[in-house]
Amino acid sequence: MTDLDRTTLPIRRPPFHGTANRTLKGSEPDWNLIGHPTPPDGAPNVLLILIDDAGFGNPSTFGGPIQTPNYTRIAEGGLKYNRFHVTALCSPTRAALLTGRNNHAVGFGSVGEFAGGFPGYSATLPRDCAPLPRILRDNGYSTAAFGKWHLTPDGQQGPAGPFDRWPNGWGFEYFYGFLAGDSGQWDPCLIENQKIIGTPEEFYDEENPYYFPDAMADRTIEWLHGVRGQDARKPFFVYFSTGCSHAPHHVAQSWADKYKGKFDQGWDKLREETFARQKELGVVPQDAELTPRDDAFPAWDDVPQHLKPFYARQMEVYAGFSENADYNAGRVIDAVDELGELDNTVVIWIWGDNGASMEGTVTGSFNEMTMQNGIPLSDEMQLQLTERFGGVGEWGGKLMDPHYAAAWAWAGNAPFKWGKQVGSHLGGTRNPMVVHWPDRVAEKGALRPQFSHVIDVAPTILDIAGIPAPTTVDGVDQEPMHGASFVASLTDAAAPEHRTQQYFETIGNRGMYKDGWWLAMKTPRIPWVVTPEALKPYAPDVWDPDGDPAELYYLPDDFTQAKDLAADQPEKVEELKALFWQEAEKYKVLPLLATLSTFFGIVPPLPDISTIEYRGDVQNVLSGMIPRIYNHSYAISADLVVPPDGAEGVIVAEADHLGGFSLWVDDGKLTHTYSMMGVFLFKQQAEERLPAGEVSVRLEFAADAPKPATGGEVTLFVDDKPVASGRMDHTVPIRFSAYAGMDIGRDNGGVVDRSYDDRKPFPFNGTVKKVTFDVKPHVTPEDEHALHTQEQHGHAAHALSG
Amino acid sequence: MPGTQTIDVLIGGYLSKEAADEDYEAVLASGAHVEGAVVVSKDVEGNLSVEETDHMVRKGAEGLGAVGFVVGLFAPPLLAATAVGAALGAVGGEALHKKTGSKIEDAAGDTIPIGGAGLIVAYEHDQADTVEPAVTRAIKKAIGEAEGHHVQALKSALADAQKKMAEEGA
Repeated sequence: MTDLDRTTLPIRRPPFHGTANRTLKGSEPDWNLIGHPTPPDGAPNVLLILIDDAGFGNPSTFGGPIQTPNYTRIAEGGLKYNRFHVTALCSPTRAALLTGRNNHAVGFGSVGEFAGGFPGYSATLPRDCAPLPRILRDNGYSTAAFGKWHLTPDGQQGPAGPFDRWPNGWGFEYFYGFLAGDSGQWDPCLIENQKIIGTPEEFYDEENPYYFPDAMADRTIEWLHGVRGQDARKPFFVYFSTGCSHAPHHVAQSWADKYKGKFDQGWDKLREETFARQKELGVVPQDAELTPRDDAFPAWDDVPQHLKPFYARQMEVYAGFSENADYNAGRVIDAVDELGELDNTVVIWIWGDNGASMEGTVTGSFNEMTMQNGIPLSDEMQLQLTERFGGVGEWGGKLMDPHYAAAWAWAGNAPFKWGKQVGSHLGGTRNPMVVHWPDRVAEKGALRPQFSHVIDVAPTILDIAGIPAPTTVDGVDQEPMHGASFVASLTDAAAPEHRTQQYFETIGNRGMYKDGWWLAMKTPRIPWVVTPEALKPYAPDVWDPDGDPAELYYLPDDFTQAKDLAADQPEKVEELKALFWQEAEKYKVLPLLATLSTFFGIVPPLPDISTIEYRGDVQNVLSGMIPRIYNHSYAISADLVVPPDGAEGVIVAEADHLGGFSLWVDDGKLTHTYSMMGVFLFKQQAEERLPAGEVSVRLEFAADAPKPATGGEVTLFVDDKPVASGRMDHTVPIRFSAYAGMDIGRDNGGVVDRSYDDRKPFPFNGTVKKVTFDVKPHVTPEDEHALHTQEQHGHAAHALSG
Repeated sequence: MPGTQTIDVLIGGYLSKEAADEDYEAVLASGAHVEGAVVVSKDVEGNLSVEETDHMVRKGAEGLGAVGFVVGLFAPPLLAATAVGAALGAVGGEALHKKTGSKIEDAAGDTIPIGGAGLIVAYEHDQADTVEPAVTRAIKKAIGEAEGHHVQALKSALADAQKKMAEEGA
């Protein structure tokens, strides 16, 4: 098809130009009717690779300690952008990347799970902002996404949808990956298109275990081969979005062991080494200064000697994990090359959707969710819990969900200050980008210093493809993209700056860039601390954002934000402050700190459903979708049919031994196991075996009080008769797992009680007819409101670590 | 007073058996004379194990069975700042006698948290400077001290240690 009007999507089919008589006599077909829109001639393939939670100073391509040979070869055949910027948080960057618009303007001021009540924080894509994959698909591209999504709200991640918030709804014709902000790499709970397919069967193969990064590359290559088998010419758009290097840092020991001893020097020295290599490579100017360590991070020299191997291993695993991502991205690139299409494929590879993550707190954690649940653990405790689940050598293995210490992240963001969540500083917002397109880029291996932002990527891809941004989609007038194409810089090193102004905002941390100047206003809160005390200064009647410390940098002379000029340039500070407020209003950034609104009493309406029923064949209920049993009394009952020879197996189980619960039958005995994030493990078991036939069982948890992490008494019942009881001193206050799902009649993926690990998924050998959760028994209206508020706090806390 | 002695009892709580074992070995290697030492632990599947020295508590140790110890962690900052009371419970002086292994298991079975471990070391007070520095990995530890006839001193020291442990966790 030619001369298509691509400004209105979907593209209208051409009118019938043949003849349709009463009979075939004299009738003339018009074969254009069965065609489909094709992209403009010469539109190339696009491979968009996004690494997760990684810093400017991580990959060796940009001077880091992590070997990234594939990234380097693509950079050497293409261009390195060393002033490319993202938002300081996962979902916001992804939303901006895939829409070409500022993240708040498309509802993603925070992470996808947290759907707030303000336009900039709804986690719901406005219909007047059609995303890039939809535009490419409607213009004749084959589109597919693999890996992390993180753009679907909690509560909408089940078979009832709505699916316009899922990858298919954004325009990807095929999706294989996970919806959440992170996933176990050994035991993910996966989605294929609009179906939750759960943990792959290969997970149970001990000899050849499933590993998501490998499978993700396999699926991508398989999809490419399928597309090419059908159509040799149709261009593709592949979004390859790795779960790496977000926690949990899961990788085989052989990858981590490549770095054995490489980090024994500690984070302070590592940062200096990286900085020296960055200068050597020219990705950092020769006159740049290495910014100092903030007191929030301990000095390596102050780490107790006996804990240094523990800390060093954390970084070894992260490095091996990251190198594996490079390896698997390289496999996809090789597959494109093997198809003979690499020259005509634009590879855009961004190393990090935000700076490296400091959410492991100063200690690192054997279980990333300990931070999100607000459990303070010293480094000695973390080490002992690591020992509990296999020891330091198993960090990265199947029994832990590890996250490294914040100071390693800071070192990975060298030479900048801070990291993820800190939108005011380059450690959170400046990441490497490489563009490879042999057909067009002649200057191989060159550096491009143009100030760029993630919103510029979509307009650039459309520019390259010759496709206009549509003005109308599905009858809805479109908001123009906010990004600007940087295509001129692909062929011209001296191309003028395409972007002279950009705001940044993440959880109250603000940056305003204009003509080289950067105003940085970071809230004094340490990013990984979300205690009530830490949040008090940000209450609506207390916080004056203009009162936060203001730093001013002139980036053309100061690549790293090392020289604060605020005291010398008060007029410039005020000018940029005013400009920030203008931009904030324009792009729906306001109200600031909407992400934290629930901490200040602004909560969504109370849900009106208190009992949830699951029939016996329901599996893989995603972690954000399970009944909210946290912080108060609840009951779980089940109607069973027990076989004549006795019962065994799981009745209902959520998540795994690092946080979750299982109501199960052990050699005929009703049993309850509860893991408080792997720190505390509780178990109650009946003395007598379940009778055969129709049996009703029930678990009741009587909370001490409706309060966070409340302790309480557990009682198990069989046919209304109490059969076991016990106390749980502490319960999970916020969320059992970031990714593991709930199952009826079995325990898919990692198991809650390790004693049945050898029988996993340990299906119930009788029939589970129905499982019912009663999540609000015996709660007063006042308590109900308080609990609802606390639950929303949990959402917000989770949102801080996307 | 003739026949009296000053006994110290150190109790330590751990989140892993490995850490408790490490301190246990360090105590034994310290060169101190200990009256007895025992590590009680439960793995993540709930299996209980007991490891103890050959030293035996002298006569009347069975009278100490009711004296337990408590280990705790502090609650999360998002939560109320109250103590977490993961009670290791009623493992007492008997636990120091290697021939009472089954009784230890009975006593500890219900009280050692899954995945947790406890260490008890009893020693004469003049050994304290050697024993105490060897215990480096306890998440919480408390040292009780009592003077009297041996059994009474041991019992009182255990009670004192337990009290201190509980107070620290409050």
